[in-house]
Amino acid sequence: MKKWHKKTALGALTLASAGLLMACSGGSNESEDSASSDSVTFWYMGDGNEHIQPILDDFTEETGITVDIQSIPWSSSHDKLLTAVASGDGPDVVQMGTTWMAEFVDAGALQDISSYVESEDSLKTENFFEGSVATTKFDDAYYGVPWYTETRALYYRTDLLEEVGYSEAPKDWEELEDAAIKLSKRGDDMYGFQVESNDPSFAFMFARQNGSELFDEDGKPVFNEAPFVETVDYLNTFMQNGSSPKQDLGLDISQTFGGDGIVPMFISGPWMINSINDSTTDIEGKWATALLPAGSENNLSNTGGANLAVFNGTENEENAVALIEFLSRPENQLAFFENSNSLPAATVAWEDEALLDPIIATFGEQLENSEAMPLIPEFERISASYLEDWEEIYLGGADIQDKMDELNAETENLLQ
Amino acid sequence: MNSYKKAQKRNKVIVGVILIIGGIIAVTPFIWMMLSSFKTNAEIVSMESGLLPKEWTFQNFIDLFEKMNFGVYLKNTLIITAFSFGGMFLNAMAGYGFAKYRFKGRNSLFIMILATMMIPGQVTMIPVYLILNNLGLTNTLAGIVLPGLVGAYGIFLFRQFMSTISDELLEAARLDGASEFYIFTRIIIPLSKPILAVQGILTFIAGWNSFMWPLIIANDEKYYTLSVGLQLLQGQYGNNYALQMAGATFMVVPIIIIFLTFQKYILQGFNVSGLK
Amino acid sequence: MKSANKKAPYFFISPAIILLLVFSILPIFIALFISFTDLSLAGLADWSRVNFIGIDNYKNILADPIFIKAAGNTIYYVVIGVPLVVIISLGLAILINVGDGRFFSFMRLVFYSPSITNIVAVSVVWTFLYNPNIAIGLFNQILDLVGIAPVSWLLDPAVAKLSLIILALWRGTGINMLIFLAALQGIPPEYYEAAELDGASKWNQLRYITVPMLKFSIFFVSVTTIIGWLQFFEEPFVMTEGGPLNSTTSISLFLYRNGFQLNEFGYAAAGSLILFVVIIIITLFQLRGQLKNNENEM
Repeated sequence: MKKWHKKTALGALTLASAGLLMACSGGSNESEDSASSDSVTFWYMGDGNEHIQPILDDFTEETGITVDIQSIPWSSSHDKLLTAVASGDGPDVVQMGTTWMAEFVDAGALQDISSYVESEDSLKTENFFEGSVATTKFDDAYYGVPWYTETRALYYRTDLLEEVGYSEAPKDWEELEDAAIKLSKRGDDMYGFQVESNDPSFAFMFARQNGSELFDEDGKPVFNEAPFVETVDYLNTFMQNGSSPKQDLGLDISQTFGGDGIVPMFISGPWMINSINDSTTDIEGKWATALLPAGSENNLSNTGGANLAVFNGTENEENAVALIEFLSRPENQLAFFENSNSLPAATVAWEDEALLDPIIATFGEQLENSEAMPLIPEFERISASYLEDWEEIYLGGADIQDKMDELNAETENLLQ
Repeated sequence: MNSYKKAQKRNKVIVGVILIIGGIIAVTPFIWMMLSSFKTNAEIVSMESGLLPKEWTFQNFIDLFEKMNFGVYLKNTLIITAFSFGGMFLNAMAGYGFAKYRFKGRNSLFIMILATMMIPGQVTMIPVYLILNNLGLTNTLAGIVLPGLVGAYGIFLFRQFMSTISDELLEAARLDGASEFYIFTRIIIPLSKPILAVQGILTFIAGWNSFMWPLIIANDEKYYTLSVGLQLLQGQYGNNYALQMAGATFMVVPIIIIFLTFQKYILQGFNVSGLK
Repeated sequence: MKSANKKAPYFFISPAIILLLVFSILPIFIALFISFTDLSLAGLADWSRVNFIGIDNYKNILADPIFIKAAGNTIYYVVIGVPLVVIISLGLAILINVGDGRFFSFMRLVFYSPSITNIVAVSVVWTFLYNPNIAIGLFNQILDLVGIAPVSWLLDPAVAKLSLIILALWRGTGINMLIFLAALQGIPPEYYEAAELDGASKWNQLRYITVPMLKFSIFFVSVTTIIGWLQFFEEPFVMTEGGPLNSTTSISLFLYRNGFQLNEFGYAAAGSLILFVVIIIITLFQLRGQLKNNENEM
């Protein structure tokens, strides 16, 4: 008898959980529908608890509007936004990466907020870096307000460059190549400069420095013309002469940049400052950031970051704009910088001493000379194709002109 | 007889040695993950680090709860996992239905079920979301749980196992006046322990690791699960391997406990002939 | 089976059938519909921007060199990976089933542990293991000990596929081992006792008792493993993102890239329906083979 009971226990357990399902799924429906007039919903990419909650608390205190923040992991945020677009059921305010602006504006997911941008003092475009404002403007209308910004600069090991005769960072492409080769001659498994093979915008950034417009006035791609092809050839020389690693070394920044400095120069955004400080202990004072080395035309960098936008279909426009307005104030941008190390898009904020540290100030200076990648919905696809071609060039030894002809034809096809 | 026993013993030793060698290979990354969660991040990335932490620290686990809402995620994960056991029961019911009854449309319905196993997951996401949206189930617990509640894999496994149960046993129960549901819960389920153990572990893991729907369906963080938390962690502290390992370890320990509990049932074995 | 209530089977199967109809079958038809359109992100927001383009998606995808390459890779994964999974997990199950002490039940957990290791942890650990640098990568350190030159595990297009297969084997054997173990427990011990009395060798016991008794389990594991490998996704996704030179791109990864990164839902839907049909055809062949086998025995 006892045994029988034991055997049925398992069945009872499953039954019980089935019952629980019924009970709980019924109950959960009620707790929603709380979109009252004094609240606003906000989707934040990353973990909002640490970064932004304190600022939102201030907002609530000032305005009486409560903010429901939802943290969304970066790696899944695109999927999450897709479904929000499909259902039209999104937040009131959404953080929108600058590279995604074009596709979501094109999809009609974001609201035209031009009237607020023109009327509200803290939203006026002259408050922000030009490169950032450009990412909010489509067909003469504004669909967002710059929030934080990033741009790329050169990171380098001052001590190691000194050893090969560079007391300052390389100023132009020639010096970059020369320094990289010298650095790579330090020994086996030593390199000079990291040519990024996974960053889709890397080559496009270099090509602009070499005078490529990427797209001509008619919007036709010019990837197979001299300035672009030369750039690919230039980047490929690093790969072929061994001054750039051909593959992801699978190493942490503390090995590649710290210690012996396996890769003592690379180009990256401000987020690397923290990574370097957190994971290395032995190179304090031995590294610096510098403006990008100039190509034949300029040293234009690549603006990224994120804007704040109002999700189309919100019934809470006033509160949404109020939140954006609050977050755009220089003092709140600075507070956000302190919590998250995201660089303020408001130019005034840069006068604060927190941003005067030379390692960070470089980025402020580079921002004056920085533009976003072409703001067309297809760009992600184009740059993905480029990376495939690039891989075939530097790994597979494919002909550069041939590959770029292909890329150009493919792009023309895509844009039709 | 003595020599036979000796040979038996020798065989066991040989098998044991093979298993130990294979086991070391299998378990190394797992152990590495667990031990790394007790290291500081600086030690992990220093490369000189051996398997054992030089200095044991629990700070990573404390950070999980202080820096992230791991408490909330844990609660949600437990709830979702509990529901998935309801789904396992439905799978068992369906498996039984297909195993022990002949009815109209049986084969075609079963083939339909099998077919669902074959559709690549990525493509159904958008359609399923649209359906849930039309049903008004977005931002509900039901919306998170329902899409994955039953699965062809489980039904198939249950059906196959249950069809080995002898019909006479069921006929006898029917003659005694037992209802169909009574037969299922009192005879079939207890006899299905080995398969329930396997399915139970699978169900637990699936529920425990559920990631996509809690994220997509939820419009605020109250339904986030540990997996979503781990993704947040990865995005936020991408260079902090120690913290990531702590998150991953935290997710795995309960599965080990469940496994140890259930595996007793697998061991117990299953012998139809003995019950006749 | 005559006296059973006529409604009873429907009572048992209907909850599962209804859920599957709504959340699996219906989505397939929606995907079929989508595959004849140019649905993109904009179309999701505003259905009037969706155009019917007939079978263009199908024509284009079958001419897409990367799709063809991904299909070739996927076949490679299936042909190499499936037999290895079945043989290794069956072998492990048989070995573990030899004893029933604490040691053997502990081994069960040991071999199962890879399946429950979180994918993030997996990718971090295995990237270390596969590191080409002798100073770091454990595998190359081991090779170095026995005097073999270092291998570019994830960087050589020919080797990368095998490296991912090794990883997937490591992750995938645990669950199949459990299924085999459950089935092994179901073989009446009298069979072996009788064989033992007749003086049958261990090998013959394995061949004439174990394998035939496990026929269904083997069939089941092969079917599900083939389906799993045809949808091979996570390993290339976290380890190589399909590179180098798309040598590890599987069909599922290709579809994910087009669907969710590039918003080409129509194109991705067409590709997944092709994959779906292929999987069905392969499985039907297997089912037929299994049925024939059973008939021959009767």
